[in-house]
Amino acid sequence: MTTIRLENLVKRFGDFTALKTMDLEIRDGEFMALLGPSGCGKSTTMNMIAGMEEPSGGRILFDGRDMNGVPMGKRGVGFVFQNYAIFTHMTVRQNLAYGPKMRGMSRSEIDRRVKNIADFLQLTPMLDQKSAKLSVNILQRLAIGRSAIVEPAIFLLDEPLSNVDAAFRAVMRTELKHLQKQFKQTMVYVTHDQLEAMTMADRIAVMDHGVLQQVGTPLEVYNNPANIFVAKFIGSPGMNLIAGELAETDRGLAVDLGPWGLSPPLPDDLANAARAAGSRAVQYGFRPEEATLASEGQGLRARVTFVERIGARTIVHAESGQPVKIVTENDVGFAVGDAVTIVPAPGAVRLFDAASTAAIRGA
Amino acid sequence: MRRSPAFETFRYAAIALALALTLLPILWMVSMAFKPIPEWSATGADLTWIPRAPTLDNFRFVFGESTSDLIVALERTAWRPILSSLLSAVFGTLIAMVCGTAAAYGLSRFGSGKNLPLALIQLRLFPPMAVMIPVMIMWAFLGLIDTWWGLALIYGIVTLPFAFWLMKTFFDEMPREIEEAALVEGCSRFRVFMKITLPVMRAPLASSALLVFILNWSDYLIALLLTTKNWVTIPVYMASLSSSMTGQLYGAKAALGLLAAIPPVILGIAIQKHLVRGLTFGALKQ
Repeated sequence: MTTIRLENLVKRFGDFTALKTMDLEIRDGEFMALLGPSGCGKSTTMNMIAGMEEPSGGRILFDGRDMNGVPMGKRGVGFVFQNYAIFTHMTVRQNLAYGPKMRGMSRSEIDRRVKNIADFLQLTPMLDQKSAKLSVNILQRLAIGRSAIVEPAIFLLDEPLSNVDAAFRAVMRTELKHLQKQFKQTMVYVTHDQLEAMTMADRIAVMDHGVLQQVGTPLEVYNNPANIFVAKFIGSPGMNLIAGELAETDRGLAVDLGPWGLSPPLPDDLANAARAAGSRAVQYGFRPEEATLASEGQGLRARVTFVERIGARTIVHAESGQPVKIVTENDVGFAVGDAVTIVPAPGAVRLFDAASTAAIRGA
Repeated sequence: MRRSPAFETFRYAAIALALALTLLPILWMVSMAFKPIPEWSATGADLTWIPRAPTLDNFRFVFGESTSDLIVALERTAWRPILSSLLSAVFGTLIAMVCGTAAAYGLSRFGSGKNLPLALIQLRLFPPMAVMIPVMIMWAFLGLIDTWWGLALIYGIVTLPFAFWLMKTFFDEMPREIEEAALVEGCSRFRVFMKITLPVMRAPLASSALLVFILNWSDYLIALLLTTKNWVTIPVYMASLSSSMTGQLYGAKAALGLLAAIPPVILGIAIQKHLVRGLTFGALKQ
């Protein structure tokens, strides 16, 4: 039950700057996901919150208290490691009891907590087994249990699900969310898996190259990416982006997309914002899920290059100089080589400044 | 893969030759240990591969019992050298392992650069002979000549680089997260080392200690130079087993050699199991 504040946080390793600058407020009881590709600085940020690394600059505040110089054991954080870091020479019970024991809890209190957490995470049958021989899925739950048992005010998880199989990952996503609802900790969750971030997090902090790109709820980040990186990174597949130039037409402002033709006129607020932004070179973006395919009519002209069946849906790859992807129903009537017209849904279009990569947003 | 019969024949011939070369001296020693005096003595005209009249006389002899055939009496029995070898090897191993492990942990976790770790190995750059003369002088000055503790100390020093490098490699490979997980729970650094790191590193510790023990146990040169009478070790004592009447006491040497070979063989098998198993950190599945 703690607010975490990062102020101008910087981390350098020798000449390498892992984290350029980071300002972020994680609210009390919030589930915040730090999302980004590997090397984006998310784990470094997490390690500094835990106290495993000292910041090169800036401050970390827990409830307004500066954590600089406070050793990790005194910060009151729980940490779940990517490789679980189970004490392999101990049994499951000893692993779970470790934290409470270090805090000097009474024997009966430790037993009560071990029983509760073991029930919650279905670890009861293997409580007295040596932990070295357990399966990855069980080690995973044990790692979470060992940190959760002392009910830390702040719970940090470093890619805890990256080593487990897909089916178990789906189960754990629900359980982690459930766990957080029950204990109401402030939770920071590092992941490179956007699905994990989207499904569990209250808010997502998207990072790249040591810079915070955007903070927002999963839907904000998905619907209104702050820049080209976020637009491409979030969504599977990511947002389609086509280079173009703003062009005034008699039906309003549109984007000249070269071989694709002229885009449908932009909505008024977006057009006004684009005019105000002043730049002419833009990236024209829309989600693969938010466009329809037609054989003729008004829209973006392209040719189908590949039809990818993924089960529930079909992804049509089309090209006109640059490639785009459109997610459609399975009964798509197009084959490779067909000419196709892509019609982005009204309101789905996003514009980005080609030079700064920042989003151009309507009011 | 299917190999030609000619190749297989050659392969087995090569293996047989290698085994003969390595095992023949051992076979000879085992056989010799159980032979009565006429069968091993230099005067004996009938040397045999297998003892014709097997006896335990050689073992009785080195432990000071009088035997019917061998009329020479030993000035000292093998008990004291065995004790000396055990004490110096065990304590030398303890010194090397305690200091080596501590140094390896410190440098693995908090050290930077390569110079310090490399400096520790420079003791092994020279043949031990090169440093033994100064060591003899120092030991004489310190009154450590012909004491088991003096021997244990030099053994500890000589094998320290081995212990250090073995343990450093193991510590480098150990996932730090295991320690950090305990630190996050409020455990102190020292307690993490004692309660988490060392227990997790049991297998590497055991295999390093056994390797160091075998090195110390097998030493001849250092013990020869630093002991004179009271605390000679098994190898030095063995070399002294001769008399003007009988010449080299091969039977007694073989018996003692057989006894001395037992600990390294047993420990060697134990090490092999650990080394083959390698470092299996159950928690680390990546």
